[in-house]
Amino acid sequence: MKELRKLATPYKWFMILLVAIPVLIMTVLSFSKTSGVDFTNIRFTLENFSKLGQSVYLEAIVNSLTLAGVATLICLVIGYPIAYIIANLQTDKKWLILVLLISPMWSNMLLRIIAWEQLFKPNSILNSLGISLDLIGTRLAVVIGMVSIYLPFMIFPIYTVLDKMDKSLLEASRDLGANKLQVFTKVVFPLSLSGIISGIIMTLLPSATAFALPLRLGGGKILLIGNVIENMFKKVYNYNLGSLLSIMVIVLIFASMGIVNRDKGSLI
Amino acid sequence: MIVKILKACRLPLLVITFLIMYFPLIIIGILSVNKSSYAHAFKGFTWQWYTEIFSEATLRTAIINTLTVAILATIISTALGTLIAIGIQALRPKEKKRLLMLNNIPLINPDIVTGLSLMIVFSFLHLRFGITTMLAAHIFFSIPFVVLSVLPKLQSLDKDLYYAALDLGCTPMSAVLKVIIPAIKSGIITGALIAFTMSIDDFVISYFTTGNGFSNFSIWLYARLGRKSFSPAAYAYNTCITMVTFVILMAINIKSIKSKKGRILNEKNSSCIDNTTYSS
Repeated sequence: MKELRKLATPYKWFMILLVAIPVLIMTVLSFSKTSGVDFTNIRFTLENFSKLGQSVYLEAIVNSLTLAGVATLICLVIGYPIAYIIANLQTDKKWLILVLLISPMWSNMLLRIIAWEQLFKPNSILNSLGISLDLIGTRLAVVIGMVSIYLPFMIFPIYTVLDKMDKSLLEASRDLGANKLQVFTKVVFPLSLSGIISGIIMTLLPSATAFALPLRLGGGKILLIGNVIENMFKKVYNYNLGSLLSIMVIVLIFASMGIVNRDKGSLI
Repeated sequence: MIVKILKACRLPLLVITFLIMYFPLIIIGILSVNKSSYAHAFKGFTWQWYTEIFSEATLRTAIINTLTVAILATIISTALGTLIAIGIQALRPKEKKRLLMLNNIPLINPDIVTGLSLMIVFSFLHLRFGITTMLAAHIFFSIPFVVLSVLPKLQSLDKDLYYAALDLGCTPMSAVLKVIIPAIKSGIITGALIAFTMSIDDFVISYFTTGNGFSNFSIWLYARLGRKSFSPAAYAYNTCITMVTFVILMAINIKSIKSKKGRILNEKNSSCIDNTTYSS
């Protein structure tokens, strides 16, 4: 099959061009002052770094980590039992529940955020039921939005691991004298850790970097790192500070992936 | 004791999950038939927003753009992704692992990082932002999904089939087209479905890679929100999409359950190589 290898070669260069090169360009941008990505009048400077200390940016980073962290934790607390329940259903209607869980994801994400926004406004359709939720601009609204949008991303990786788990291991541990709780804590849970980790990554990363969601549900009062980055690239055209912030996000992602991969190695 | 508590929690948990996920959809559904164009009161039932999907020019353009990009991106990324996956499968294990790691980076990266990276490369290359850059971006983020859904099928494919085709006089390319691709059809279809749904729903990456006024549905929506001029036809369009995908998902599942027994026979038939097609 050697002759088929050349089918993959262009892909390698294509991916390097579109994945590695931008990171390089962004690194250069974050150490310099330019107009956009025009390098003709480049001037190297560290002033982007000194701007990082400003409270707007620090607050955005802290907001991103705490709100996305809380949302991820809630997703895990709801998502794990749900995945467990579905994986252990003794019915041929399992696919129906899975389809019901997947279908909301086919609905436009932005519009689902808008639906929550319409609901959280003091004047909402709920008024006819005598309820007025005045939640826009609160952290609670942002967290509810995040949980609602990203919950499936937590459920599916965990479900996949639980569903594929070798059931004879559970029987073996029961034969060896473990009670139901011990089977769970000593066998099922440790074996599902890889699913939990991918679930956490799949929920935490997009929710921490979201910008439309905090903008709509936070009413402009709660800024996340995504809002600041969007602002830099789309409104004030400060590509240098924007690049620095994006590079920080990328470094954080790869650092956490590195830690996860190392831990995974030691667990197995 | 704890087991009992967990069992008691089962129903409430399912209810909470479905509520939190379906609440927005219900609201969107209600607002799509609401007579008032403001979302704060229900003023009666109407179908007018469903007809406005076609009469409101900017929305219609945005929907046509979304579908054009999604269909083109799906076709191109499925074709490229399948060939790339075949190439990756033929690589030496070490190289394969390395390329797969590269393949997975866009999958892990949050949309904003992917969108920004592409925007920076495109403006570095002085490309004209618009439909081509958005299409290129959609192809870029769809290919890894196609590769990942095709690869498992390739792994379980008997390599001897390919060599047999070569022995019977196929060139490598026609062996790929006539033997490998029909055998991994289900993986290709899954990949194409994922690519299409990713593309049709994408906001962030499109937002960063478009320009010169070319907008898809999500970008149209985002721009409208800023200007507070927002037509409920958007709710109507989304409700239609949700309904259609729901029906398709149900149909696929019902069909796959019904044909479970028949499938084994079918697979046997389809993997048989029909010698007559190679006579040319």
